[in-house]
Amino acid sequence: MAAPAALLYGFLYLYPAVSNLLYSTQRWDGVTKPEFVGLHNFKYLIANDLTFHKIVGNNIRFSFIVVILQTLFSLLFAIFLVKNTKSNIFLRTVFFFPTILSSVSVGLIWTFLYNPNFGFINATLKSLGLNSLALNWLNDARFSLYSVAIAQIWFHTGQMVVIYLAGLQQIPQELYESAEVDGASRWHQFRYVTWPMALPTTAVVVAYTTIQTFRAFDLVYSMTQGGPMNSSDLIVTNIFNMAFGAYKFGYASAESIILIIFVLVITWIQRRTLRVKGGEK
Amino acid sequence: MKKGMQRSTFRLGAIAVVALGLVTASLTAVSADTTPSFGAKCATEGANTGTSSTSLVCAADSKGVLKWAKVKLSSGGALPVPALHVSGGGSIEFHHWRAEDKVVLQSIIDKFQAANPGVKITQVIESSNDYTNLAYSQISANPKAAIFVTSRGGQFDQFYKGGLLKDISNQRYVKQNVIASALTPGIVGSAVYGVPYQSLFNDPVYNVSMFKAKGWTVPTNWTGLLAFCKTVKAAGIIPFAWPAATRGNAGQIMNSFLMNSAPDLATLTSRVQAIDTGKADVTQQWFVDIATKYKQMNDAGCFPANVTGYNDTVAPADFAAGKAAIYPTGTFGMSTVTGLNPAMKGNMKVFGMITVDTKPLYEGITNNTFILSVNAKSTSHDQAIANAFISYLCTAAAAQEYAVGTSQHVSILDVDYSANADLLNTSDIMGKKLLLAPRFLFNNVTTVRNPVEDALIAIGGGADITKTLADTAKTIKSNLGA
Repeated sequence: MAAPAALLYGFLYLYPAVSNLLYSTQRWDGVTKPEFVGLHNFKYLIANDLTFHKIVGNNIRFSFIVVILQTLFSLLFAIFLVKNTKSNIFLRTVFFFPTILSSVSVGLIWTFLYNPNFGFINATLKSLGLNSLALNWLNDARFSLYSVAIAQIWFHTGQMVVIYLAGLQQIPQELYESAEVDGASRWHQFRYVTWPMALPTTAVVVAYTTIQTFRAFDLVYSMTQGGPMNSSDLIVTNIFNMAFGAYKFGYASAESIILIIFVLVITWIQRRTLRVKGGEK
Repeated sequence: MKKGMQRSTFRLGAIAVVALGLVTASLTAVSADTTPSFGAKCATEGANTGTSSTSLVCAADSKGVLKWAKVKLSSGGALPVPALHVSGGGSIEFHHWRAEDKVVLQSIIDKFQAANPGVKITQVIESSNDYTNLAYSQISANPKAAIFVTSRGGQFDQFYKGGLLKDISNQRYVKQNVIASALTPGIVGSAVYGVPYQSLFNDPVYNVSMFKAKGWTVPTNWTGLLAFCKTVKAAGIIPFAWPAATRGNAGQIMNSFLMNSAPDLATLTSRVQAIDTGKADVTQQWFVDIATKYKQMNDAGCFPANVTGYNDTVAPADFAAGKAAIYPTGTFGMSTVTGLNPAMKGNMKVFGMITVDTKPLYEGITNNTFILSVNAKSTSHDQAIANAFISYLCTAAAAQEYAVGTSQHVSILDVDYSANADLLNTSDIMGKKLLLAPRFLFNNVTTVRNPVEDALIAIGGGADITKTLADTAKTIKSNLGA
């Protein structure tokens, strides 16, 4: 029974992964014969490619902002919505709604919202007399990355709320009752009951969100294509541009290998930081 | 009764004579003043009277005097030939990016299919962005894609290197139906690998009635252009609806800035190629001067507020609604404008944007793109169908249907544009001395041209010139070394 599964896995996953590794050691434009260049692509990426360094910086900032805010908001919303009341069930649906949209639709919605001349955000700011805050959100290199990050948070928070809800509902009610008997305030209940008990879920949410931020291709591409001047370019969008725009398939493969290493290292650090072993603290 | 009829006949006759006299007199006056005639002196070398078999071109004679001369517009010189026919039927795919041309192309395909029973051609259309990125991999793996288009420059080169382009040099329709000068982007060495079907004019389009009502004239030099912007802005109208947030169309005005930036074409070409290959960078004075002009335009109020967030949805809408005087992309944008506001039909003209105060070397930009090719990896029968269909597209009748239906000029001889007011209105630029769009001299689109255009857009939006160009130079250097 395992043989067909292994065959499928080998064909659909292992073969492309090994091919990718092979391409990363080649100079190949997709047209002419590939040329073996050893580790040159990796060396150039790490030592010389200033654009790639900038993009890695973008990705780290993007991930940091999204992971922190998305985790925070999803935990907060989950705490507020944990009880199974009618209004909470309705609100959970509302919060989850953006998740079912396609990322390109979300990109378009936010592109309209951010439009500096007729977008809702600037129109609102201007109507409140805050003209100086009506910025060129997506087309000013200073703000584009953060603007996309906000859209990413809006897009995925609902999904994380669901994960948190599942985690929070596993916390025994007796713990809260005992805490209340001991005179613990709401903050102390959160600090000493909810947070420690939700830590395994937080580890999952943080790891999942981190991976999402390193894969946020479609949203970025539909909103800014990585611009202006690479200011919102992430590693995934650059991989696409290098492969299908510049036809540097070998170089793009090397970037994708580095991306995998990044995600593995960051996820490992996160799990070490949250000290989670086998799903428990 | 009879007398009455005689009187009215006499009156009609008299009116006709007077009218004929007036028309003849005015035509004679026009002819004497402006109409080029064979052998008469002319002023601008390269200027021409159109794209019919009888057109004239301004060229130097053996004594170096500029005179109107008959020009051999096709490379073969002989009269255009009819379309080829295929027997045996069969089906092929036609891959392209012009979704807006689908209906017109389908009408032409239907006629071709009717003339060639059993043949079926299916259009496979993708957005221009997707087409740029994915067409090569899709077409190279699909021999049924027997006919496809490429854009001038990098994409055409890629398909050529991949061995996907069949040599069509010996086809009679290539030699006799296509304007020879328009073939250049489809030639490698001395062989023709594609017919650049569209003749575009990547020059700003302006609102004729608005100019007339306000008493404005088209600026003819750089100082005049900056002064024009101030005047138009003061009237509460956006001078240039420049879609800076959409790189593809925002980049079109770079053509105008490059056009007269060098003493001659060879110098311009070598300068652009030096940047494209990393031998020179964008911090050189020549390019700084170009970037400075973008900044000057921004300072003079030529662009709308928050121009870097002003995209190619809003720009044509503002132009179509009369909120902007000029839409600086090209003739290919006119169908979008008339789609948004049918009243703009016949109300647009193009002008060459002159960015110098001295006598310009060129008066406008043209481009030949939408290069039709036969897939070298298709079966010989499918290639025959594709070849026959291209030959059909290269007949004056089909080309005219395409041109009129899509508001695009074409590279085919003897096409009459009079059925489309916009094409007719913009045809006069065909008589100017035009430069083949230099923007497409950049072959490294993703690694070089995109960063270059991003920098100019940022500067046009008010970014610091020195810092922006220095950053861009670093980006290009990194990209090219990768």
